[in-house]
Amino acid sequence: MSDVWILAHDPAAGNTLARSARALGDRVIAVSIGAGVLAAADLTLVIETAAQALPEAYAQPVAELLRSRGAKLVLADAGTQSRLLAGQVAAHLGVSPVTAAGITPGEPLVVTRLAFGGLAVATEELTADVAVLVLSPGALPASDAAGAGASETVEAVPAGGLTLVETRAKGGETVDLAAAKRVVGVGRGFAAEGDLELARTLAATLGAELACSRPLAEGVDWMPAERYLGVSGATIKPDLYLAIGISGQVQHLVGVNHSKVIVAINSDAKAPIFAHADFGVVGDLYQVLPELAKNL
Amino acid sequence: MRIIACIKAAPDDADIVVGADRALDLSRAAWKVGSYDLNAIEAARRLADQAGGEVVGLTLGGEELANSKLRKDALSRGLDALVIVPGSADADSFQTASALASAIGGLGGYDLVVLGAGSSDRYAQQVGNQLGALLGVPTLNGVNSIAVESDHVRVERLLEDAEQVIDVALPAVVSVTSGINVPRIAGMRDILAAGKKPVTEASAPMPAASTRLVSLLAPEQVDRRRTVVEGDPAETAAQLATFLKSL
Ligand SMILES: Cc1cc2nc3c(=O)[nH]c(=O)nc-3n(C[C@H](O)[C@H](O)[C@H](O)COP(=O)(O)OP(=O)(O)OC[C@H]3O[C@@H](n4cnc5c(N)ncnc54)[C@H](O)[C@@H]3O)c2cc1C
Ligand SMILES: Nc1ncnc2c1ncn2[C@@H]1O[C@H](COP(=O)(O)O)[C@@H](O)[C@H]1O
Repeated sequence: MSDVWILAHDPAAGNTLARSARALGDRVIAVSIGAGVLAAADLTLVIETAAQALPEAYAQPVAELLRSRGAKLVLADAGTQSRLLAGQVAAHLGVSPVTAAGITPGEPLVVTRLAFGGLAVATEELTADVAVLVLSPGALPASDAAGAGASETVEAVPAGGLTLVETRAKGGETVDLAAAKRVVGVGRGFAAEGDLELARTLAATLGAELACSRPLAEGVDWMPAERYLGVSGATIKPDLYLAIGISGQVQHLVGVNHSKVIVAINSDAKAPIFAHADFGVVGDLYQVLPELAKNL
Repeated sequence: MRIIACIKAAPDDADIVVGADRALDLSRAAWKVGSYDLNAIEAARRLADQAGGEVVGLTLGGEELANSKLRKDALSRGLDALVIVPGSADADSFQTASALASAIGGLGGYDLVVLGAGSSDRYAQQVGNQLGALLGVPTLNGVNSIAVESDHVRVERLLEDAEQVIDVALPAVVSVTSGINVPRIAGMRDILAAGKKPVTEASAPMPAASTRLVSLLAPEQVDRRRTVVEGDPAETAAQLATFLKSL
């Protein structure tokens, strides 16, 4: 019987991960750091976290637990907190965490990840005696098999030095760009936040979701982070992707190049996006978008 | 304060040539400091200027680091000195973090280590996480602002659905976001001054890799129609509208 271990600090994400983990083992064992018992796992080792302590502060005891129980395959999701936890646990186990965008089960396990901003795909064999994988969204199919739901409590003491003072929920909508049939993407070609209204109007006319390049979400904060596309953001597969004022760097393109049709509007005829577009308009978005609105 | 900024050089992706066999040709690529590592240098510089202190750059890599233009570029962005650890840009997160940790052990103390959001070639976003664990100090990723407060720093951290405010005891290791600041562009004076700043080498042992690379290939390209129209906005917009309606 093969065991696959997961690291969970959040009940919803933990159950999702437990369901995916089934693709790689017969028994799913969760280490839950403040996430309670996971119904989708067969066994949960529950660590109660102290108030003001971050789940990441339990990395060392979690690593000791994994080692003492002989864990060989450990999975985490790619969220910010999970990544830190996985990286630290792996360090205490003496291995590198391995980013996995795709996994081929077997002996040894073979994983793929993006390299050079999405310019290449690296295929790697796992050679260390324990594997800590950080799964990109969609790396494994989710099964709907229920878990046995057993649990054990484990005592653990967090490392000091990190005190959570405050958590502010980021409110706002959640969006499933991956499911959108049409997507309009905006980039730094927009000079001011208010000008995005031009793109919003177009998106509404086309029945499209609005998305963006990374600098518009991280840096100027004009758009929420879950709306940026690319190697480190969302990946989309719509029927239509319309990129406006986006240069088309490889880190962006890798998130959109599975679109059926790509359309680009950019004032620079030499912008790389045109080489990856089915239909391109060389022009100033401030002139082209109002004219386009008249014609749709 | 003594701040260490970890930076990595990688081949400029604009110069990487993809062959017909989908293999990558890096031979003509210029190596440059990762764009997200410039945020780490900038954050470190600003803290050192506020609290008083120095910023030491630390980089692990191969022969590419012999290039004086590359060294000067890093030094001109706000480092006071640069320490080079001989190794390879292909090292994995644990190999890199282990060597950096051992090099830091030889640097004579530090208050804060700042890393970027991710390296431009591997982008595992893990070296800082592992480095902090190996050094045995408080460690955070996703750090979006840092303020020095007497014996600790108060940081804001960006998560997917929330923002945390966290007090971090020093010494500590933080990986910053790409939005934490806008890195400075070096002026002529900075570039001239960079040539006079100390560059030293610190060798450090490296553990075995956790994976074996089987292949590195560009993904299959999708064939695009590549129709491009240019000229009067009213006309090109009408052509685009016709195209969109035909879908
Ligand atoms: C490790 C790493 C990971 C990254 N991950 C991502 C990622 O996941 N997603 C992502 O998007 N980026 C990512 N990036 C950043 C990426 O490299 C580019 O910097 C970014 O995609 C550029 O965004 P942009 O096209 O909006 O801006 P720019 O490159 O500045 O392009 C703006 C474009 O607008 C055009 N323009 C200007 N004015 C007008 C006008 N009036 N009308 C029409 N066009 C106009 C310009 O010609 C230009 O082509 C990553 C970078 C690194 C190093
Ligand atoms: N070879 C290296 N030398 C120095 N710092 C590095 C090296 N590799 C990664 N880093 C730092 O670690 C961060 C995360 O890298 P990575 O985990 O490879 O995405 C980078 O932004 C750098 O700040």
